[in-house]
This record gives sequence, structure tokens and C-alpha cells, in this order.
Amino acid sequence: MKKFTLTLLALLALAPLAEAQAKKKAADAKAPASKKAAAGPEALALQDKYYERVQIPTPPGEVVEVSSIALLPGKKVAIATRRGDVWVCEGAYEADVSKVKWTKFASNLHEPLGMFYKGGSLYLTQRPEHTRLTDTDGDGKADAFDTICAKWGINGDYHEYAFGSEPDKDGNVWVVLCLTGSFHAYSPWRGWCVRITPEGKMIPTTSGIRSPGGIGANEKGDMFYTDNQGVWNGSSSLKWLRPGSFQGNPTGNKSSLLSNFPAPPEPQSGSRILTERLKFPEFVPPAVILPHGRVGNSPSGIACDMTKGKWGPWANQMFVGEQTASQVQRINLEVVNGLYQGAVFHFLQGFEAGLVPVRMDQEDGTLFIGGTNRGWGSRGSQPFTFERVRYKGTVPFEMHNISARADGFEVTFTHPVDAATAGDVANYSLDTFTYIYQSAYGSPEVDQSKPTVKSATVSADGLKVRLVVDGLVRGHIHHLVADGVRNKAGDALWHNEGWYTLNEIPAK
Amino acid sequence: MRFPALLALVATTTVSFGAEDGAQVYNTLCVACHGPDGKGLNGLPPLVGSDWPKGQAERSIKIVLNGLTGPVEVAGKAYNIDMPPQGAVLNDEKIAAALTYVRKTFAGNAGAVTPELVKSVRAATAARTTPWTAAELLKDHPFPAPKTALLNLVGTMYKGEWKELPDFSKLKPAQIEDENTGIISPAQSGLKDAFAMVWTAQFQAPEDGKYTFLFDCDDFGALYVNGERIAEIKGIGPVGDRRKEVPVLLKKGAVPFRLEYVEFAGQEVIILGYKGPKDKDYKWLSDSKLGGAAKAAAKRAPIPVEAKDGYTASYRNFIGGTTSRAIGFGFPNATNLTYSADNCAVELLWTGKFMDGAQHWVDRGQGNAPPAGDGVVKVSDGMVVAGPSAPTGAIVSYQVNKDGGKGTSFKVVNEPAEFKGYQLDKNGNPTFKVAGEGFSFTDAWTPADTRGSAGLARKIVAAGDKPVTIVLSRGLTVQANAGAFEVGPRLVVRSLSGVAPAAAGPDLVLTLKPGESAVLGYSFR
Repeated sequence: MKKFTLTLLALLALAPLAEAQAKKKAADAKAPASKKAAAGPEALALQDKYYERVQIPTPPGEVVEVSSIALLPGKKVAIATRRGDVWVCEGAYEADVSKVKWTKFASNLHEPLGMFYKGGSLYLTQRPEHTRLTDTDGDGKADAFDTICAKWGINGDYHEYAFGSEPDKDGNVWVVLCLTGSFHAYSPWRGWCVRITPEGKMIPTTSGIRSPGGIGANEKGDMFYTDNQGVWNGSSSLKWLRPGSFQGNPTGNKSSLLSNFPAPPEPQSGSRILTERLKFPEFVPPAVILPHGRVGNSPSGIACDMTKGKWGPWANQMFVGEQTASQVQRINLEVVNGLYQGAVFHFLQGFEAGLVPVRMDQEDGTLFIGGTNRGWGSRGSQPFTFERVRYKGTVPFEMHNISARADGFEVTFTHPVDAATAGDVANYSLDTFTYIYQSAYGSPEVDQSKPTVKSATVSADGLKVRLVVDGLVRGHIHHLVADGVRNKAGDALWHNEGWYTLNEIPAK
Repeated sequence: MRFPALLALVATTTVSFGAEDGAQVYNTLCVACHGPDGKGLNGLPPLVGSDWPKGQAERSIKIVLNGLTGPVEVAGKAYNIDMPPQGAVLNDEKIAAALTYVRKTFAGNAGAVTPELVKSVRAATAARTTPWTAAELLKDHPFPAPKTALLNLVGTMYKGEWKELPDFSKLKPAQIEDENTGIISPAQSGLKDAFAMVWTAQFQAPEDGKYTFLFDCDDFGALYVNGERIAEIKGIGPVGDRRKEVPVLLKKGAVPFRLEYVEFAGQEVIILGYKGPKDKDYKWLSDSKLGGAAKAAAKRAPIPVEAKDGYTASYRNFIGGTTSRAIGFGFPNATNLTYSADNCAVELLWTGKFMDGAQHWVDRGQGNAPPAGDGVVKVSDGMVVAGPSAPTGAIVSYQVNKDGGKGTSFKVVNEPAEFKGYQLDKNGNPTFKVAGEGFSFTDAWTPADTRGSAGLARKIVAAGDKPVTIVLSRGLTVQANAGAFEVGPRLVVRSLSGVAPAAAGPDLVLTLKPGESAVLGYSFR
């Protein structure tokens, strides 16, 4: 140790001399291990070229900490707030949003986190119940507040959040129920996902939840939620709510005794997700891990792009809000051996508060976003915000998706690539890691490895690059940096890195 | 070409051998709440100007390892939020680097923190699995005592019982102590009851001008500044109503200071502070300060929730005194109720102010907010609809048995009725809806003056094919008096039309057959 330190010091003394040379070498080779943050100011500067972000004025003098967004007929948008107000906005789609008109529909409900419109009513997942709000006398204000289901436990703890989805194809609403204080299950069904039927029946659907930030379905109707870093979550992630599954956090397991739900697994702390989920077939691993501190710190709302190109070339990809970093991340999913997995990329940034709900207008391609930073800090510094984002029609140069192969990955780009740079293995860098699966709060990155990209083959149309990789690690996050790859015009990628969660390695 | 290759080796190995970049750790994990400048973001606690990162590093290490929960005062401001633990995320080197960065950058160059110290604290607190509270940390790692304006403070204690200030010159001291902290505390007597103390010191006035002294105590005493008796609290009693705030003109320099104090029995408290010519806030010379928790609540500006333009206000949140599924209504005539959706019952009735939203609408919204008004009557507790449990088990709730947190267990309970929601009339007044096996009823409340005093009218209408029995009040005294029932200390329930309720021991009960209704007047004595 001591000897090593001395050697190290001696080498450091030479550093200034060698530094310039090293820099030059790195530049020449377009060294892939760039330290440039993919979500940094350079990416933000380009954002206006591709997407238009507009802050919509909220009702003057009102505290509008947006917690839910619903789309109404006639281009109206309803928002709910953490204080429990429901407002209806007219003009949110207009070019000039300074003329939006707000009408208060309901007041002081219990922290609604999930809202949709159906059959003339607004449905809200409030903290204690799922509720239908109707304006029966047509005066623009809700007067009927019908309790559809109130069968989960709450005990007065501020952390017992309930996030509700839009209805699925059977009309069921999926509700993910945060643990008590995010550590405990002091009330029934905390740490569970339940489905609420239109008749108000509650169906326990998955165990193993910690602290959700949002819930939403993909184009197939499979339901996903975001879960935040903490106990049993080494990092935050996007998780697939396969009915009957265990999502990884055993704190709420005891509620299974209240129904005929089979007892969920009691996993071993200090292990790895892969090890434990191979013991327990009902343990569905996170579809895509959002590495803590690198991708974000606190994922929230979920929207799937089913706009048929109106939101950009991202058909069926998932867009996830990020509370702490005030960003939206982009995720491509695929199914391998019956499990969802895929890659997350940085996407949009610069929002004005910590993001919570996101809602895509699938017809129009407008993404509505709401935020609040009360109680949890965020990069966006306003106390609350309501925003809209639209695609401007210029396709950014991006890794469209990363797809796993038996011996590596196939990366699809949004522009035809320059064959010279995209075919050079030196322009790709891969590193892998995972987290300790443990009852403690979070985890360091562990079990790091450095696979080798052996070949990079560009497809005839220039849109795909097949990477043959030596050293794929099942269960690990594979961090791919493609900094040196250029399109035919010689442009660099808008965002040069992605993190692929390799739950399963496909067979040949 | 050898140098770059060697450099690469150096770069990678340096990282794994301890030269962690504290700024990088800070800017990844801490910055979202504490801010890039350490001043706190979005109402979250600062590091700059805070005593917490200063002094004993063990205090900060413990917070980073296991987190912090509950009320905490930082740089003079009260917070009630959680800091998540990082002990499982960060190794000893990273924690040491981050804290060294914080102490150097934001805490006035407080000393570096070594990985060895982090390691030893981690080992010593290995059994700890829950976040720390501020009180626990300050007990083990107090802030260094600041110098006060009291120089050469000496406390003299006398034993005895007095109901007014004695002539201390005629008493024999039982104990004399130097109090180098410059802080006055009744605890310095070592006694709980039947003693007196006199503190003398030089008060250091930093400049010429007006000084305001604040003095209060339990039981009584007198304050002398510059040889003059400027404030006196007389008689046996608690702190609060007798507090004195007295201005004094002082010249820069040391002036004589004397405090006489007598504790007869019960609580012993001294609150003593001063504001100099340029001070905005009081500086405290006693261990007790004005307020504490009360001060924190006072700093949170109230957000009144109240009826407006004749429209009844509502408030769904955690309301103190009822169950978690609480729905409050505040009527324009300053009567208020809280409905428990768990128990299908109006459980709280009160007059005056409705609710203060500040508890739930500022910070994270921890805890139950009590009704903001006066004379809260807890009308009942538990399910009020009597009758057999639903035979099909269609209506269930869950009973939570708590035996100290971790041992919480749950049980399915079949209930006779469930809450179905409510309808608001044109003025925002609620009609609650309840249903069970073979019956349902509506329960409407409107503001109404009964014989000149503000009250409420209640109309209950039953439907279905089975009768229903509802407990209108439970466990309170019920006294029939001239066609009305006096319920508990201040409620009067009067049958106005339809089926009348009946007293059943300590309960007031109403039974309705399908199609029957009852109209009741509620007023407050």
C-alpha cells in the first residue's frame, strides 16, 4: 500500500507533461469514455430544435401543485393538485397560452394522484379511496362524489400515497399503494398493487411495492409503475406489474393473509435480484433500472407513445418523469424469455419544478406535464408548474433503441449512420454493474465488469448496428456509450449513452 | 506513448484507493435538497449558517449513515421532514469525502472527516436500523455552547418555600456555582421544588442603544439590569400570560445584571432573552426559549379553510380526533363537522373556525390537523350502523392490531354498512350516502339556526327493505329535556319531524323502517 502510494505520487508528478498528449490522443481516437454528461447543457441547447416546451399559466393567486392530469373532450384538460383541488383548463392546446381559462371543479380533496375522464365523470384516485366526481346539475362544479372503492388501509402517515392508473381494457383501475413512511406496512395492503373493478371490487394484484411515483400502461396494455430507490431498491426503476407477481419488497407481505393471495417470497437480504428471482418464479425483476444519480434520483409519471409519430419516432416507447432532476427520460422495452427489459436514455430537461404527472394526448401528440417541489427538492426551482411539450418535426440523431442479442446488442439509430464511425468498435464503450439487493436503503453499484465490443456491423440501410460483445452479464445493467458515432451529416448523437437492464440473454 | 498508458492506470487506481471526490458525491446525492451553494433548495434545510455540520463530525456521520426523521431546527427555522439514509449507498471513503467537502465549503472550514472515523461510527451504530431524531443526536453530540452576553455568571441557590420574593440579603446560600456557559437554568439548583436562585453577571452591551429584555418564569422572579429592577413576575403560576418585554437604554460596555427567581412547586421554567439595537430576533440567556414547537407552528402562516359567499367549505385530509378517512365541512354559520367514512358517522361537531390547511399544505404534510375552532364534541367512535354483519361478507374492513410497530397484524372484519359517497347541494352542503345488506340511507346536513343560536339541521332518509338502526351519539351523557336531548357537555339534539331518536343508556339511537325519515335540529350550548 505504502509503496503503491509512492509510485502513484511519482506518476502524478509527470501528469502535467503527459496531459496534453493524452488529451490529443483521446480526441483523435474519439475516445468513447467521454465524461460529458449526456443530460448536460449541450443537450439542453439542442432541445429547442426538436421539442417545444411551454409553461401554461396556472390560475392566478392559486397554489397549483399539479398531482394528476386528465384529458377531457373538447380539448379541455383537467388537473388535480396536492391540496386536492381539481381545475379544468380551456386553451391549453392553443398557440397563445396566456389566454387559458381555468374553472374550479372541486376543492380540498385528499391528495389525488391519478385522474381520468370517463362517461361524463372525472375519476380520482385519492389517498383514501377511488372516487367518481360528477357535475349532475351542469353548473361546472362537481356535486356528486361517489366512493367506488375504499378497501385499502391508511393510518394518517404522509407517505401512504396511492397512485391510480387510467382504466385498463376491462375497465379496471390499477392502484399502487406506498408503504407507511416508505419503510413499513402499518396498514393493510400497503406495499401492494390492487385493481379496482368498475363495480368497486378490489383485487390484490401484486405484492412487493415500496414507494411509487407513477403508473401507466404500454401499448399492449401491460401495466408498469416507477418505484423509488430505498429499502430493497438499490436504485429506482420501471417495473412491470404482472398480475400475481412479487415486485421485490417484502415489507407488505403480511397483507396476503387477508385474501387468498399466495404468500409472497421472503427473499434474502444482501443478495442480488437475479439470485433471488431465480429462487422465486413470481419475483418479476425491474424491467428497466434507472441508475441512481446517473439517470435520475426519483422517477414519477409514465406515458407511452402511441401517437403514430406525432410525438416523434418513438412508437410504443415509455416516457418517465423525474422529480429531482426535473427531466423526462425515454425507455425502450422488449420481452425476452417472458420478462420485460430494455434501455433508458436521457431525453428532455429544464422543466420548472419536480415532475410528477405526465399525460400524453395520443391523438394530438401533446405531452402534458405537471410538477411540484414541496417537501422534496428538485432542479427546477419553481414551487409548481404545468407544462406542455410538442414535437417540432425534426428527428434528433439518437439511439432509437437497444435490443439484446445472444452475443451482444443491436442498436437502432434514428438517422442512417456514418459507416466509418459506426463500424469502428473504438466508438463504443460498455461497462456493467448491478446493485446489492438488500433491506437497507439503496445500494452502491457493485460487481462492475467491462465487456469488450468485438465487432460493430452497420446494416445496409445504415439504421442498425450489430454489436458483438464478449462478456455480457445476465442480470446486470449494461451502460453503452456511443460517443464517437456520427450520422451521415457528421453530427454527434443528441444523447450518447443508454443503460440496458439485461434480465435475460436471448437464445440464438 | 508510454505516458498516456501509465496515466490511465493512475487515473483508475486513484479512484479506488481513496481520493474520493467529495464535491462529486455532494453534487450527485445531496445537491437536490441542500442546493449547489449549500443554502437549501425549495424550502429544504440549508447547510450554510447551520450548526449541524459543524463541531463533532460524528453527528453528521450518523445522519448520513442512517438518516434523520422528525422535527429539527436548522439555522433558526423549524423543519419536519425526512433525510433518507445513505449508509447502504456510500462507502466510508465516499461519506468522508462528501462530509469533508461540506465542512470545508459550507461549515466555515470545519475539519476534515477521515474514512477511519466513518468506519468506527458505522461499527458503533451497526445495530441502528431506523433514522435518528434530532433530539437523540443533540443529546450525544451537542452543539458547542455559544458565548452569551452574560460574563462571569454566578448562580446562588437558597432552600425554602416563599410565595413572594424574599430579601435575599438575609438568607443563607445553600450552594454557589460559576455558570461558565452564560446560560441561566432552574436546573442549576439541582432541585425541583421549594428553592430560590439569584444569578449575577456583567451584561455585555455591544453598542449604545435600546435593548429589549423578555422575561417570563414559573413561578416568579425579578430582573435587574444596570442596577434597576426592570421587570417582575409576581405570584405562583406558569409561563405565558405574565410575560414581560421591557426596553432599556444602555451604553456600550458591561453593566451589572441580576436575576432573582423562586420556584414554589410544579414546573420550573425561566425564559430570558434580549434584543440589541440591531437584532431582529431575541438572543436567549436561558435554557428555555420562547415557543419551541409553538414558535415553529406560529411561523407556519395559517391557511384558513372557510365557507365563502354562503358556500360550505370542505376538507378531506387527516383530521385529528377521527379516523384517517375524514371529510370535514365548515358551514357559513360557523358550525362545522367531520365525517368518518370508515365509521359512516359524523364524529366531530364544533363551532368557530373550520380548518387550517397549513399543516398538510406546507412541507410534506405530516400528521393530523386538529379542528381550528372551539368546543369540539366527539359524538361517537366506531361504526354507528347497527345490525348483522353482511352475511355474504361483501362489506369488509380491516382491523389493525398494533403491538409496537413491527408486530402489526391485520384481520378481516365484516361490517354492517359502507360509505358510498356524498352529494353537495347548491350551497355545498353534504348528503352522505350509506348502504348495507338490504338497506340504505342518506344523511343530509344544512346550516340552520335553532331558537336564535347557530346550529345544523340533519335529515336522515331510509330506503331498501330492511330497517336500519343508527347510533347518533355514543358514550356521552344523554339527558331528555323539554322535547330535546342534551348530549354531552354542549350539544342539544331536537326532533323536528319524522321519527324521533331515543336514549339508550349513554347512547342516542334512531331506528328507521324503509321509507321513513327523521329531521333533527343540532345546536350548541
